[in-house]
Amino acid sequence: EKDASAASKDNTTKGASKRQEGTAETPKQKLLDIIGSMKVEVSYRKKLQQLKASERKKETMSRLDGLDSEGPQRATGDIQGGKPLNPDLVKAASAVASSLPLDKKQTESELLAQLRRHEETTDKQKKGETIDIRNVISEMTVKRQSPAQRGARISGRISLELDEDGQRLRPERSQSFVSIRSLKEGKRLNIFTKASTEPEHALKTVSSPTIWDLEFAKEIAAVTAQPPRNGFEEMIQWTKEGILWEFPIDNEVGMEDDAEFHEHIFLEKHLEGFPKEGPIRHFMELVICGLSKNPYLSVKQKIEHIEWFEKYFEEKKEYLQEI
Amino acid sequence: MAAGALCWALRAARQVLPSPCPVQVRSHYVDWRMLRDVKRRKLAYEYADERLRINAIRKNSILPKELQEVADKEIAALPRDSCPVRIHNRCVLTSRPRGVRRRWRLSRIVFRHFADHAQMSGVQRAMW
Repeated sequence: EKDASAASKDNTTKGASKRQEGTAETPKQKLLDIIGSMKVEVSYRKKLQQLKASERKKETMSRLDGLDSEGPQRATGDIQGGKPLNPDLVKAASAVASSLPLDKKQTESELLAQLRRHEETTDKQKKGETIDIRNVISEMTVKRQSPAQRGARISGRISLELDEDGQRLRPERSQSFVSIRSLKEGKRLNIFTKASTEPEHALKTVSSPTIWDLEFAKEIAAVTAQPPRNGFEEMIQWTKEGILWEFPIDNEVGMEDDAEFHEHIFLEKHLEGFPKEGPIRHFMELVICGLSKNPYLSVKQKIEHIEWFEKYFEEKKEYLQEI
Repeated sequence: MAAGALCWALRAARQVLPSPCPVQVRSHYVDWRMLRDVKRRKLAYEYADERLRINAIRKNSILPKELQEVADKEIAALPRDSCPVRIHNRCVLTSRPRGVRRRWRLSRIVFRHFADHAQMSGVQRAMW
């Protein structure tokens, strides 16, 4: 069932794309023949679902667009969202609607809406805007029932388990519904992926926390912090305190060295304050060689070393010149 | 900024939690010798870089010897407790200077006590 309904929707979209290509060339008769050959299996249940879907879609469309929400008017008015639809497409849409057994005007409006969406997406792709797939998918789930949900619901109604008496067990609907919903909703726990540093929502707009605020915060923490019920919660607490490392183990925790390798190795540019010849230069070149091989220091620390030597030799300059 | 300050307050509050089991609060080091050792470690950490650089000048065959003598005097002028040689690994709990296992930083008596009470992870009585 669900495949057929999905197929019918795919067929309508395919028909729309076919129409986009073929309307210019083939006459209306050929189109009607093609449409007649396309088998649209419509059952009563699917009709109801489609009607419900169209109603929901119309509500959301009216909310989104903010234009007239009457179906038949939209069918005739083909300029929507500032983009005029091809008049041939409109004629083809009306032809398809007349051929289908459902309500003509509703199907017309639905088809036109789909065409409009096609145009919008192609325009976006032409302009080079990034299509956020997430938005598209979330939109789809809001307007239409996903086949997975429908399938689950249908399969949930029919249970093949038999009771002791031989009667069929009534499936626990609440469980399936809860499991369906809770999969996609909810805040991420960040167990397997690193926690993104999102800014926390600002609760108050207080310049500095007063003593009373601190005491209140302490009270809340004391009341809400229950002792851990099991080992997992204990480990969570330890991780928060910093006693336990975060898994998977990140070898570079606390070590944020943003410098590239060439900044570590090619340190000669820091040697400009030194004389070009002499034992000091020789000494400093050895120092640089050693520092470049040191993987444990950050670039800042290495530069600090070199600068300290610069200062030291500056101070000893007079003493050196005596020699 | 306000959110950050609040988080800091909550974190501070969490540390002051009245936990269910009575925890020993240790505000003093075990004895004065341990305190002196702690001071030596802090100073050694502070002066580590300087000592390293001055020693690099001293232990050299390139620079002139007069410079190295000056560096000798400088390093001798640093505080005495800043040299890492004066640090002694004592037991962390009892401040015992001898019989300290480096891996656990505990003296042999404390180590044995904890191991027998099964409070040392992965430590077992040897038998072979």
